[in-house]
Amino acid sequence: MDVTKIGVPPIGAPTPAAPGAPAAPASGAGSFGTVLKDSLAQVNQLQQQADGAIKELATGGTATLHDTMLAIEKAELSFRLMMQVRNKIIDAYQEVLRMQV
Amino acid sequence: MDVTGTLSISGSALSAERLRLDVIASNLANASTTRTPEGGPYRRRNVVFAPEAMDSDFASTLAALGPQGAREGVSVQKVVEDQSPFRMVYDPGHPDADKDGYVAYPNVNPVAESVDLMAATRAYEANVQVVNATRRMAEAALGIGG
Repeated sequence: MDVTKIGVPPIGAPTPAAPGAPAAPASGAGSFGTVLKDSLAQVNQLQQQADGAIKELATGGTATLHDTMLAIEKAELSFRLMMQVRNKIIDAYQEVLRMQV
Repeated sequence: MDVTGTLSISGSALSAERLRLDVIASNLANASTTRTPEGGPYRRRNVVFAPEAMDSDFASTLAALGPQGAREGVSVQKVVEDQSPFRMVYDPGHPDADKDGYVAYPNVNPVAESVDLMAATRAYEANVQVVNATRRMAEAALGIGG
């Protein structure tokens, strides 16, 4: 079975994007590190949006109750997705550590 | 992310139902208002909903290519005034009475407004259920392989 068919680029695959420059999200061919960094940035952005919505609601701004709850929900779901990815990475790392040489 | 799109659709519906609630509250609050800045009594107001495409930025529009129209939120297109006749009440002592002693009261029916209020509340709850279902599906997806 060809694992690369699943869609995740193989770790360490040469990246066509210039090093240092953030790959365009639509290119779909970033390195594993870039993908991870992008998704982390997205999680962080959603957390900040939720923070902003809570602040807006508490200070009597224009935010509504349900918009705030939805922002919190989105932040929580993306955070949990990130945690699952992190768990998988740690699992794989420990699997490699246990390898007999 | 796909889940956040679903949540945005439900969010637009929640906002629309909230605005509908505001309009019903205005109607009930002004059920006996006989003078307005435009002249004449208050006219009952109603909301008009319209579908609204949720993919605002180009990248997500491209990503969602294929099943067109599957992601439509809702927005309040406009607030219209009910043109039905006013309720005429005989009250010669009222400052807004006409020459025959009749006062035009708003065309607001509190019973009908109460029913609209229940409909708006139920619609809001239904959309909250959609949000909860989305959450449960996302949690199930996160549980894959775990």
